[in-house]
Amino acid sequence: MPKMVITELYIKNFGKFSDRHISLHDGLQVITGENEYGKSTIHAFIRAMLFGLERGRGRAAAKDDYTRYEPWGEPGYYAGTMRFLCGGRTFRLERSFGRYSRQASLICEDDGEELSVEQGDLSVLLGGLTPGLFDSTVSIGQLKSEPGQELSAALENYAANYYETGDGEIDLNAAFQVLREKRREAEKAVREEEAEAEAARRKLLQECAYLERDMQRLQSDYEKCRARLHERNTERTIERNTERAAERQAGRGGAGSGGAAGTKGTETGGKSLMKLGAAGLLAGLLGIAWGLLLGNPWFQENVKGLSGMSSFPFLLIGGCVAAVGIAALMAGGMKKVRGRSTAGQKVEQKPRQELNTQNTEEKKRLAWEMDRIRGEWKEKEIRRENLREQCEESESSETLAALKRRCTAIALAEEELKKAAEETGSQTMRMMNAKASEIFAFITEGKYKRIDLDENRKISVWDGERRTAAERLSRGTIEQIYFAVRMAAADLLLEEPVPVILDDVFAFYDDKRLVSALKWLSSCGKQVIIFSCHKREEEIVKKEELL
Amino acid sequence: MKFIHIADVHLGAEPDAGPLYTDRRPREIWETFEHVIHTCEEEQTDLLLIAGDLFHRQPLLRELKETDALFAGLTHTKVVLIAGNHDYMKLGSYYRTFAWSENVYPLFDKMVQYVDFPELHTAVYGLSYYSREMREPVYDEITAGGIEPVEILLGHGGDEKHIPIDRSRLSDSGFAYIALGHIHKPQALEKNRIVYSGALEPIDRNDTGAHGYIRGEITDRGVRIQWVPCAVREYLHAEIPVEADDTMVSVGKKIEQLINRNGNKNIYKITLRGKRDPDIIFDTKRLSERGNILETVDRTEPAYDLKRLLEENEDRLLGRFISRFAGCREGSVEYEALCEGVDALLASRE
Repeated sequence: MPKMVITELYIKNFGKFSDRHISLHDGLQVITGENEYGKSTIHAFIRAMLFGLERGRGRAAAKDDYTRYEPWGEPGYYAGTMRFLCGGRTFRLERSFGRYSRQASLICEDDGEELSVEQGDLSVLLGGLTPGLFDSTVSIGQLKSEPGQELSAALENYAANYYETGDGEIDLNAAFQVLREKRREAEKAVREEEAEAEAARRKLLQECAYLERDMQRLQSDYEKCRARLHERNTERTIERNTERAAERQAGRGGAGSGGAAGTKGTETGGKSLMKLGAAGLLAGLLGIAWGLLLGNPWFQENVKGLSGMSSFPFLLIGGCVAAVGIAALMAGGMKKVRGRSTAGQKVEQKPRQELNTQNTEEKKRLAWEMDRIRGEWKEKEIRRENLREQCEESESSETLAALKRRCTAIALAEEELKKAAEETGSQTMRMMNAKASEIFAFITEGKYKRIDLDENRKISVWDGERRTAAERLSRGTIEQIYFAVRMAAADLLLEEPVPVILDDVFAFYDDKRLVSALKWLSSCGKQVIIFSCHKREEEIVKKEELL
Repeated sequence: MKFIHIADVHLGAEPDAGPLYTDRRPREIWETFEHVIHTCEEEQTDLLLIAGDLFHRQPLLRELKETDALFAGLTHTKVVLIAGNHDYMKLGSYYRTFAWSENVYPLFDKMVQYVDFPELHTAVYGLSYYSREMREPVYDEITAGGIEPVEILLGHGGDEKHIPIDRSRLSDSGFAYIALGHIHKPQALEKNRIVYSGALEPIDRNDTGAHGYIRGEITDRGVRIQWVPCAVREYLHAEIPVEADDTMVSVGKKIEQLINRNGNKNIYKITLRGKRDPDIIFDTKRLSERGNILETVDRTEPAYDLKRLLEENEDRLLGRFISRFAGCREGSVEYEALCEGVDALLASRE
């Protein structure tokens, strides 16, 4: 693409200007004006003509360029024209920035061909110059630092970014910042997703815990039942012993004749005792089964402490109850025999008989109850095992997998970006450094030979003997390095020579260096527009015939 | 001889079916099972073959009682079942002690057993799982014993951890019909003969497609089967194509159209694919707000013209960054990293 030269500005209405013509030419020119003259307005107008002027949205709009330069009187005529040469042809670019009448037209005045700004014809003429690129290369103001930041640090940031990106537009730090934020967001989403899964898992575990509590309760109920059954059986044994003693006494007393009714009664007692013995035996066996159940290996493995401890006593007690049951059975049998031989003791036996029946019923009930508890316990046990299985199996969602993948991807992007920056840095550093050093050496008339930027983004200058860190240089010299880096960047990054606009850049330059800088600019082959509030630039240009 | 072959009923399962249907899903699984039992009664089916995983996990006693009551209500049908890897014969399992009704014949042994139905001239063979995994290819050695003219094998498994199956050996085993379970997708290893009925209802989000059972008849002329779909719902995995001009609103509409087309009763997993406007971000949670969407996964990639970006920025950071990912496939993690990086670099311009 060929060189671009702005030849005329017609400001219809823009900021404080209205109906104002400004003629420009190729090469160096200085527009001098006192403070408040409107140099920045002209600068902004050029930018607005080249790239348009969009109205910001929301609160930010109150302070943006659109609002700042919106004419007070006739907002409808917020507009202007720019005439420029490109590739030997003259173009007229008209824009209107009005809120309701925004439009742009581009006409080639040589042949009257109408081009379309919307279709990108202007961008083609500008050779890929974007607003970002414009701001960071050819449109130069004074170097500004962040509040509280050393000017040298601002310079170093600026230069480092150039070196690392080889690009006037991309801000490497900002890019890393974007990636970091993305990663944080993705990581947060992963945590949320995992927390959700964890909550579901917790719910299952909670349910397991409830079941376990129920199971413990059932177990203690069971033990109570078993203890009561044991008690009943023991009572029976004591009773029997007492009975035996009574019988012995009766025998000694010599009441020899046996009554039929008495025999019958005793027989009944014997039978029920047998039944009882059977019940006791059953309960005992249940106890053994319970003990075995608790004692089996998977159970012990899963519920340490609960079963491991209690299975032994359970087995033991089961055995005892069974033994008592067998004893009771035998006693029943014996009793039957004895009942035939001994004299009836009808009167004495009657309450005991009732007691026996009651006891039998109670024992039956206890055995039944124990059976029921055992069943319920097992049902809960299976339910709990199933829940545990479910807990282990719980699959992770695809959303989570995608999020995790995103985290990995962003981390990888950060890593690769770092490597790419190092790679770019080493190459552009050489090119940029050579170019910027050349400009800087010209401006300082050879006082400094080279600008250097080290890995820690520290800038220093080399005068042939000594190296001086940027922070120890004067404001003027720092500005000159900044200027040199920018001009080097414009050279390397822009394919075409576009107009260079310098807005009050030389305030801190001494006369000698200003002369050198202007000389360099006049020979750089670009259209150069200098805005200044001093007469100095204009005088030098005249004196040195740099026009 | 008429039979119905079901498998992988997974009674007791509580699958994730999206906010709308998850609560009623366990009930639906039971209901479809009951429906099959009623079908057996109506059609006076001779044999109901259950090829494993009738229960999702160890059956509770009350579940077994419910199930047996259903079986007991069959006036004609005899039921043969085996335990699969989900409801395996765990120590302490009620399967080991439960007393089934007269018409129920569990083949709950570790070794192959058969049950003979002389009146049907049929014998059914099978064995059960005693652990969650069974890596030995036990079906390789099983052959029909020639006890009855018609012999059927009930089998469960077919992957590496669950009795690997050698199709040709099964084919040579001499059984008239082999009723398989474990693989949830209905399919035949040999037409009309070695068949997975598939799960009765889809149990997992990945059990896509229709589900049902097999109705068959064995006569002198051979075996004829018919697969009968009966599941209440389907899981559908659908892709929504995304273009550079799509937004949340347009994608939401596409999803709605898809669901209207395929039925509101089904359960969807949606994947967005294609090239999206780099500035658009799809909120997959919001897109999944319809109750019958399990999840929406965004697999779109930003529509960057990477080739052009590379050409224009060859010696700059952007170009170098892009060329570091040279040769990576679209859809890979590397490609995702590339897009994220390009996005960040371009965003830093502003």
